[in-house]
Amino acid sequence: MNDASPKERLLDTLAKKTVDRPPVICTGGMMNSAIVDVMNKTGHTLPEAHFEAARMADLATGIHTETGFENMGIPFCMTVEAEVLGSVIDFGSRACEPKIARELYPSAKDVVFKDISSLLRVGRISEVAGAAELLVRHNPEQPVIGSLTGPISTAASVVDPLQFLKELRKDRDSAHRLLDYVSSFLIGFARILVDSGATAICIGDPTATGEILGPRMFDEYAVTYLNRIIDGIHASGVPVLVHICGEMKAVKGSIPLLHSDAISTDAFVNLKLLKQEYPQLTTMGNLSTILLESGDPEKVAQRTTTLVREGIDIISPACGLSTSTSLATIRAMTDTVKEGVRGAGI
Amino acid sequence: MSVLTPEALFEELSNAVVEMDEERVITGSEAALAADIDAYDAIQQGLSHGMERAGQLFEDEEYFIPELLMCSDAMYAGLEVLKPHLKRTTESRGTVVIGVIEGDTHDIGKNMVRIMLESGGFKVIDLGRDVTPQRFVDTARESKADIIALSTLMTTTMDGMGTVVRLLEEADLRGGVKVMVGGGPISTGFAKRIGADGYAVNAAEAVKVARELVGNA
Repeated sequence: MNDASPKERLLDTLAKKTVDRPPVICTGGMMNSAIVDVMNKTGHTLPEAHFEAARMADLATGIHTETGFENMGIPFCMTVEAEVLGSVIDFGSRACEPKIARELYPSAKDVVFKDISSLLRVGRISEVAGAAELLVRHNPEQPVIGSLTGPISTAASVVDPLQFLKELRKDRDSAHRLLDYVSSFLIGFARILVDSGATAICIGDPTATGEILGPRMFDEYAVTYLNRIIDGIHASGVPVLVHICGEMKAVKGSIPLLHSDAISTDAFVNLKLLKQEYPQLTTMGNLSTILLESGDPEKVAQRTTTLVREGIDIISPACGLSTSTSLATIRAMTDTVKEGVRGAGI
Repeated sequence: MSVLTPEALFEELSNAVVEMDEERVITGSEAALAADIDAYDAIQQGLSHGMERAGQLFEDEEYFIPELLMCSDAMYAGLEVLKPHLKRTTESRGTVVIGVIEGDTHDIGKNMVRIMLESGGFKVIDLGRDVTPQRFVDTARESKADIIALSTLMTTTMDGMGTVVRLLEEADLRGGVKVMVGGGPISTGFAKRIGADGYAVNAAEAVKVARELVGNA
């Protein structure tokens, strides 16, 4: 079992099989690890790598090699979906992630629904798919993770976010119609990535937090549409990881309702306690990105050791990495997991 | 409505804000005007009072962002009716320059803070999203602001917050302008480390922090 490839180890973990040690990964997308150090060292830079399959694959490879994360993750932003759906994107710079410059619609009821199959042919979708293909071809032993922006965040990137949040309450029909549309599109995007060889799909939905939505709307909207998307991806045969932002306190009880194969959380969440409460969950996380950014490899190694000892199933940063994070601290994290932690309860 | 006492009207306005009922807020505001109630009092004791209760419900996790937004819509609907009838200018508790530091993805939190600060009696200058540290400082100087409020959701943009504090010092404005920070990844510890004066965990608390900073809590 010690010679498991990183891909086998991750897939076994997600299938709840026994593994020699937890994988240490960073999925891309919301959990972006395209730090400036890597770009400077490898010469593969953003924003260029957002647009072209080969550059995207090169940067993902560079991140994998330099950081030691046991996967390749693409894309490096959360704007592929919103761009295709018509919003204006600011592609940022080397140190600054892309973001939505302007949402296309003022309100959910204004959204014009387009044909999903034609949407899937535009924007950067084929470039992300092409990057996945290149990565899979050249790295058969590494898991290639395709990242999706979750349904609530995508909807709030197409419609003015404040208006959309209000409509979740006062115009539920329009909100549901939009989320239904966005979910069908996201399933379509995920399937293209799976067809291109992606090992797993990770969904990050930063607008779908307990703090923003509260428990009732989290259940009505986030759980419903996340599950629809997860089921749609499962139907194409790959596992799905879901990252939930925020403290999760208000929505903890809903987490086991998600159909995902692993749950990743922010640093606030005590994953050990979450695991005790819901032993059926495969947990992922949750090394503080503030700790990683603060640049103390020793502390990072200590905290990583604790996570492994606590039996966290997949070790990963708790959020997207600050682009000024140093390689030394990331290396401290990945090396600690790979060297093996004594007393890890396996 | 015409038989209602001013107190009953204030209560009705406050309740209608809490219950997110724009129509009732408008009717109540019109009734207040018809009853010759001072628009200022109707705003303070009716609308703002309701918004403060909504903020408390938010802190108690009875209300979440969608509810708070609808309460603020109801409040603004009432303000539209009452503002043209203000006999005196509303006394501002202070001026706040607010914005999302460059690089952040969205501005839901910042907008919530703006709404709560406005309903709490502050004059708010909203620079929007993707604001450079220098612009915060320039605007604070030009508007003689009391507070700069910075929000972020991402670790990526936290560095810019420290830069604002440093630029204020360099511009010799640090004495007159307080800096408050908040947002997902920010903690009290971080606020202290970069030299900020205040930290708020959410929009409702931001008003309290701002009041403390300008010394009229």
